[in-house]
Amino acid sequence: MTPPAPEIPARAPNSPLVGIGPPWSQGFAFGPDETVLAACRFDLNAQLQFGDGWIVLTNKRVIADEPASAEGTVRAAGGPRSWWIDADTRLDVQLRSAVGRVDLSQGDQIVARWLFTPAKAAAIHALEDAFDARLRGPDGLTEPADLRSTRQQVADASEEEAEEQPAAAANRDLADDAAGTGGSASWRPLFRVIAFAKPHAGMAVLGAVLSLASTAAALVPPYLTMPLVDDVLIPRQNGKDVPFSIVWWYLGGLLAAALIAWLLSWFQTWTAAWVSERIAVGLRTRTYAHMQSLSLDFFQSKRTGDLMSRVGSDTDKINVFLSVNLIEFASNLMLLALTTMVLVWLNPTLALLTLVPIPFVVWLIYAVRERLRRGFARAAVAWSDMTSVLADTIPGIRVVKAFAQEAREIDRFAASNERVLEANDRVNVVWSFCGPVISLFSEIGLLVVWACGAWLVFAGGVTVGGLTAFLAYIARFYGRIESMIRMVPATQRAAASAQRIFEILDCQPTVAQAARPVRLDRVAGRIEISGVHFRYGAREVLHGIDLVIEPGEMIGLVGTSGSGKSTLANLVCRFYDPSSGSIRIDGVDLRDVDIADYHRNLGCVLQEPFLFFGTIADNIAYGQPTASREKIVAAARAAGAHDFILSQPLAYDSRVGERGSGLSGGERQRLSIARALLVDPRILVLDEATSSVDAETEAIIQAAIDRLVTGRTTIAIAHRLSTLRRANRIVVLDAGRIVEMGTHDDLLAADGMYARLYRSQMKAAEEAAAAG
Amino acid sequence: MHTPADAPATIAADSPEGWRLERHAHGRLDLIDIDGRCHQDVDVLRAFPVTAPAGPVAVVAADGGELAWVESLASLPAALKSLLDRELAQREFLPVIERIEAVSDTEPTEWTVNTDRGPHRFVVAHADDVARHPDGSVFVTDTFGMRYRIPRVAGLDPHSRRLLEKLA
Repeated sequence: MTPPAPEIPARAPNSPLVGIGPPWSQGFAFGPDETVLAACRFDLNAQLQFGDGWIVLTNKRVIADEPASAEGTVRAAGGPRSWWIDADTRLDVQLRSAVGRVDLSQGDQIVARWLFTPAKAAAIHALEDAFDARLRGPDGLTEPADLRSTRQQVADASEEEAEEQPAAAANRDLADDAAGTGGSASWRPLFRVIAFAKPHAGMAVLGAVLSLASTAAALVPPYLTMPLVDDVLIPRQNGKDVPFSIVWWYLGGLLAAALIAWLLSWFQTWTAAWVSERIAVGLRTRTYAHMQSLSLDFFQSKRTGDLMSRVGSDTDKINVFLSVNLIEFASNLMLLALTTMVLVWLNPTLALLTLVPIPFVVWLIYAVRERLRRGFARAAVAWSDMTSVLADTIPGIRVVKAFAQEAREIDRFAASNERVLEANDRVNVVWSFCGPVISLFSEIGLLVVWACGAWLVFAGGVTVGGLTAFLAYIARFYGRIESMIRMVPATQRAAASAQRIFEILDCQPTVAQAARPVRLDRVAGRIEISGVHFRYGAREVLHGIDLVIEPGEMIGLVGTSGSGKSTLANLVCRFYDPSSGSIRIDGVDLRDVDIADYHRNLGCVLQEPFLFFGTIADNIAYGQPTASREKIVAAARAAGAHDFILSQPLAYDSRVGERGSGLSGGERQRLSIARALLVDPRILVLDEATSSVDAETEAIIQAAIDRLVTGRTTIAIAHRLSTLRRANRIVVLDAGRIVEMGTHDDLLAADGMYARLYRSQMKAAEEAAAAG
Repeated sequence: MHTPADAPATIAADSPEGWRLERHAHGRLDLIDIDGRCHQDVDVLRAFPVTAPAGPVAVVAADGGELAWVESLASLPAALKSLLDRELAQREFLPVIERIEAVSDTEPTEWTVNTDRGPHRFVVAHADDVARHPDGSVFVTDTFGMRYRIPRVAGLDPHSRRLLEKLA
């Protein structure tokens, strides 16, 4: 075993390299001509307990500090250790399960092993890359440019670490919020919804004004009953001669007030519905448009049913809230304020008594609000799960039937439906409790006012008419409070829904449009792939791909499944961005290019051709809806689809069902080839376009593909090597690396992996022919 | 070949491209291509019967292969145009719905209609099978792929229109 490197004396104070190491490695003495190339942290000790350790790679050494053991007392080797790097030194990273390991070996001896969780994988892989790059560099030193970028990475790494703590804290905040200790957070998403009302501000203001007016109108009747009782009815009862015509006047006034209130509230309700409907439409379209802008990985991490329920049912809940509840809430609030004023003006003592239950009400709302919101959020999630079961099994119905799993799927749906019921039941218990409690408060309140009022009438402090009017106002007052309480559930339901919508709206596309994208017209089609690495999460699937494809060249990508072929194709399509390295189109980095411009130059034929619900002509013209009929027919002819299209009942106007039901796999594939041909792309990606069809259909499709690839830069992935006979070059991938490259004949002569694959396929074909 | 005396005589028409269409007794249609080969019992059909009824027409062999293509009927010599028009009219059985008597409430909907070919009942699988066109006409496709045409919705009686509004 190689002894640890001797400790290097402390740096000279004027060393130019001061401060290059990440902050957590500071205090470690670097040599005067030692340069930090990469640094990362790892998080497990040898006993698989969480801890905090770091590895720093310099041009001379690997330096590492082990996490302390669980006892937290002794560091494994008493502080950071270091190993000199020589020609025999290797750094191997493996990540197969939840525990990854970094092995440092010298010759065939492992001298150190560090363990990490997938959370650290990206940084560890970067370290590995830097280690490998170091070996490639002249004299074991990387060029200044590379050095600068690694230096940047080191800085980034330490920044990342620095940010990690606050980020974790923020996450905790979110969790706390959800757990119900958050303050006014539940209202925040609703305020954001209001922003969607901006385009309809005029109508919204009109609604508010109408609401105020109708509220005021509703307050008039009790005010009229007071003189009716005191000046007309009671004097009359006491034998005074009051003409009945006065009563008519008062009744007329009451009727007019009622009519005006009715008319105003009609307009106000209509206005509210008008605005909220538009807000909901805006939300839905924005959410959907935003979803379309998100990258593929978003859709792979989300369930279709969940997204559907967010766009559909959650926006609807917000709509109901805005149209019914928000205006009601506002008008209730105004009514309460006005009523309180009238009450105080009528009789301050009684008014004070009326207000006694208010603190209880406020306390109740506060106590119940968070509980409700969490309940409704749970209910919305349960609903999403239920929709997901539908979105999952309906497209997969053939598998369900083929394996006779209908009963299982029914159970699955019933179980998720049961969870909806459970979630709703729980929240129903809470809100159904609120209404009656408020009724109780108002009954008690009325009782108190009756008692005090009766006493005041006896004492002469108030007239009977005054008391009647007062009681009428109080009935309204409590009625409003009651209805406000009933709205708390609706508000919280809408808040939960708004939260779910903003979760989508706040997602950022990982494949983002550059700030100042380079506009592309028609590209020549030269693709340069240089040093491309790609990771799915912690797993690295491409380890440095270098490949230049000339305009018009056809490249066949060959390799076992999992070798990274499709990933490479996805990168060229810019469905993802490489983790490191770059892909250039005509010399411009793909990340700088306008995504839509690039995709207009790109045609894709995938293994599973997707057809949309619509006519055959619509599906062919999908990439260019304005295409003329001549163009559509020409594309179909070139794709070998024309004849079978003519045999459909309505030829080009025949409807193909969802996902192209009613057509065979080969027919669907030819339609998707026609679709690619129609847009006349400069770059073509064929991802196993013929793997799902029989040999005879394959011949037809192959002929169509041959027409398709002519003159276009093509990347074709194929299992069947026979389909690559027109390829200019064949690239063989294995475990994320290019292992062979050349023409079919070259590769056969080289007698490597391709030759083996080819021979085994030929043999299989011969056997099949012999058997057939 | 035996030809009944009352059967119409063979009608032939040449295309500008050099192929020739022949209509024989009992409506059999043959195409003689530019190399002089005779394809018996061919079919004529519109490529876009719904979206462009006046658009391209294809002549296809009995086995489905395309033999000839006409971009637009209007540009053809009169003889060929009238022959094709006649053949298309014969092959495209497209009853015109004159009155909708009843449409059931649930999907798939069952229709009871009066057509120019007499009363008829059929089933429509989905609302998408009732296609409205900007010119005010409607095409209805039943579960067997049979099509029915309503040339002008405005021309229908109120009862029929109400039933149609429910669907499209």
